[in-house]
Amino acid sequence: MTAVKTTETAAPAGDIPPALPPAVTGGARERRRRGSAFDRSLPYLLLAPALIAILWLIGWPVISVFVTSFRQLNLGELVRGEIVWTGFDNYATVLRDERFWDVSLRTLVFTVSVVVASVGMGLGIALLMRVLTPWVRVALQIAMLCAWAMPILASTTVYQWMFDQNYGILNKTLVRLGFDSFAGYSWFSSGTSTLSVVGLLIVWQAIPFLAFSLYAGLVGIPRDLYEAAGIDGATGWQTFRAVTWPEIKSLLMMVTFLSTLWDFKVFAQIWVFREGGPSGESTTLPVLQYLEGIAKSHFGVAAAISVLMMVILGLITFQYLRKLLQTEEGKI
Amino acid sequence: MLKKSAANVVGLALALFFLFPTYWMITSALKPKGTTITSDYDLIPFSATLTNFVTAWTKPGFLSSLGNSLLVTLTAVLAAIVVGITAAVAMSRFAFRGRKSFVLLMLVAQMAPFEALLIPMFLMMRDLQLYEHLSSLVLVYFAVTLPFCAWTLRGFVNGIPIELEEAAMVDGCGRWGAFQKVTLPLLGPGLVATSVFAFITAWNEFLFAKVLIRSQDSETLPVWLSGFQTAFGTDWGGAMAASALFTVPALVFFLIVQRKMVAGVTAGAVKG
Repeated sequence: MTAVKTTETAAPAGDIPPALPPAVTGGARERRRRGSAFDRSLPYLLLAPALIAILWLIGWPVISVFVTSFRQLNLGELVRGEIVWTGFDNYATVLRDERFWDVSLRTLVFTVSVVVASVGMGLGIALLMRVLTPWVRVALQIAMLCAWAMPILASTTVYQWMFDQNYGILNKTLVRLGFDSFAGYSWFSSGTSTLSVVGLLIVWQAIPFLAFSLYAGLVGIPRDLYEAAGIDGATGWQTFRAVTWPEIKSLLMMVTFLSTLWDFKVFAQIWVFREGGPSGESTTLPVLQYLEGIAKSHFGVAAAISVLMMVILGLITFQYLRKLLQTEEGKI
Repeated sequence: MLKKSAANVVGLALALFFLFPTYWMITSALKPKGTTITSDYDLIPFSATLTNFVTAWTKPGFLSSLGNSLLVTLTAVLAAIVVGITAAVAMSRFAFRGRKSFVLLMLVAQMAPFEALLIPMFLMMRDLQLYEHLSSLVLVYFAVTLPFCAWTLRGFVNGIPIELEEAAMVDGCGRWGAFQKVTLPLLGPGLVATSVFAFITAWNEFLFAKVLIRSQDSETLPVWLSGFQTAFGTDWGGAMAASALFTVPALVFFLIVQRKMVAGVTAGAVKG
C-alpha cells in the first residue's frame, strides 16, 4: 500500500497560489522576528529522526546491495567475516545463466499482463459505475471493498482452497456444468497455469483500488463538458475520446505507474502457491533472488540479481518517474 | 433503458466475482467438521458451526503469531507516525535550506523497491544481532512506512491554515502549545487514515517476515498462515477460519477510512 498519495485535505492546499505556500510565508515571518538559534535549528531537529532513519534503513541498504554485488559472499565468507572482492564475477554468473533471462522475461510478461489487465478492468469498472443504479453501485463497491481488505495471505489461502485439485469449488462447478475433464484437474501442474492463477488473484485484489481511484477521478469531471459534447451530437466513443480521456489520462498514468511498482515485486502469492514451481516454471525475479540469496546463501550473486532487478524496474518506470519528480518539484 | 439494465446485470455479476472468495472463506469456515472436504456440491451451506474457529484459535502458534503480528505492526506504525509528524511539520511549516531536496527525498524513498533490498537488510540485521528478533521486523516496517507517512501527513498539515497556529501564538501559546492545541486535533482524521495505510502494509508483509524470523515462537501471522498445511493438513475449514480471523482487523480498519483512501490518489496525479 505504500504509495504516492497526497490526501483529500491536500487538494484544497493546492488552491493556494504557488507563490505563497504556507511554509514560505511562515518562514518569512520567522526571519523578520529574528528567531533564536533554537528557532533556526528547529526544522532540522524535527527532520533529524526521519532523515537518520531513511539514510540508515534505506540509503545504506541501497549502497550495500551494490557493494555486496561485487563480493563473493557465501555462507563460508559470511561466517568467517571475510571480504573477498570479485569484480563483475557475480554479474557474469547471473547474466551467463540462461535461467536468469527466462526468469526476467517471465517477470516482465507477468508484470505487463497483470498491470494491463488490472488497470484496463479498473477503468472499465470505473466507467461502468457511473451508469449503474445507485443500489447496484453500492453493492459492487462493498464487494470490491471486501476483496481489497482481505490480507494477501488470507486471499492466497482462500484461492488455494477454491482451486484445490480434488475438492475445490471451481473444479466441482466446472464438472457440474458438464466439463468432466476438470474432475481432479490440477491448476498448478505447469508454470503458465500457476502464474495465471496468481495473476487472477493479483488482478482481483488490485482492481478495487484502481476502480475506486479512477471512479473518483471520473466523478470530478465537470458535468457541462458532457452536456456540451451531447449538444454537439458526439457519440459515446467520441465523448470518451474528447472529454473523459484528457481529464483522466494523468490519473491513469499515475495508477499504471504504481501498479507496475507493486506487481513487479510480487513474492508472497507466487511463493505460497508452489514456491516458484513446478520445476521453477513460475519463478519470477523476486523469487529467484530469494532462492539464490536466502535458500542457497549465495549473497553476492543474489545482490547482483537485486541490482539487476532495480535496473529493470528503473528502465520501465524511468520516463514517468522523471516527469513525476519534475512536476512535484514545481509544486513544492 | 435496456442499456442501463444490461449495465446493472454486469455490475451485479462483477459484485459476485469480487465477493465470492470472501463468501467462500466464511461459509467454508462455518461448515461442520468433516463436511468441508466432500465431493458433494455444496455451494450453499445448510448448517453452521463455530468449531473451525475454535480449532484455528487453539492451534499451536496461532495466538502467538497473532500477538507477534499485532506487536510488530503497532510498534512500527506508531514509530513511523511520530517520526512522520515531526518531519511533516518541518516540511510544511518551516522554510529552511534543503527543504526542497528533503521533500523530494521523501517522495523517492516511498518508491524504494524494498524487496530488492532483501539481501543487505538481512546482512545488516545479522550484523546488528537482531536476526531472529522481532525488533528487526519493527525496523523494516518502520522504514517501509515512514516515507509514506511523512509524505501523506505533510499533505494533511498543508491543508490546515497556518493562521490558526499564529492566532494561538498571538494569544500566548508557545510553538508547542499551538501545535498541541490547534494543529494536532485538526490532524486527527489524517492521522487515522495514514496509520491505517501503514498498518495494512505491515500487516500484509510476508517476505521480510519469512526471511528475518525463523523460529516458530517469533513468527508473524502471514508466515504462520503460509505454512498452514503443516498445522491443518487438509483441514480447509480450519484454514479458512484462520484466514477469516486474520482478515477481521484489516477489514475493520478499511471500513473506517474507506472514503479517505479512495479520494487520495487523485491529488497526486501528474498533469500532462
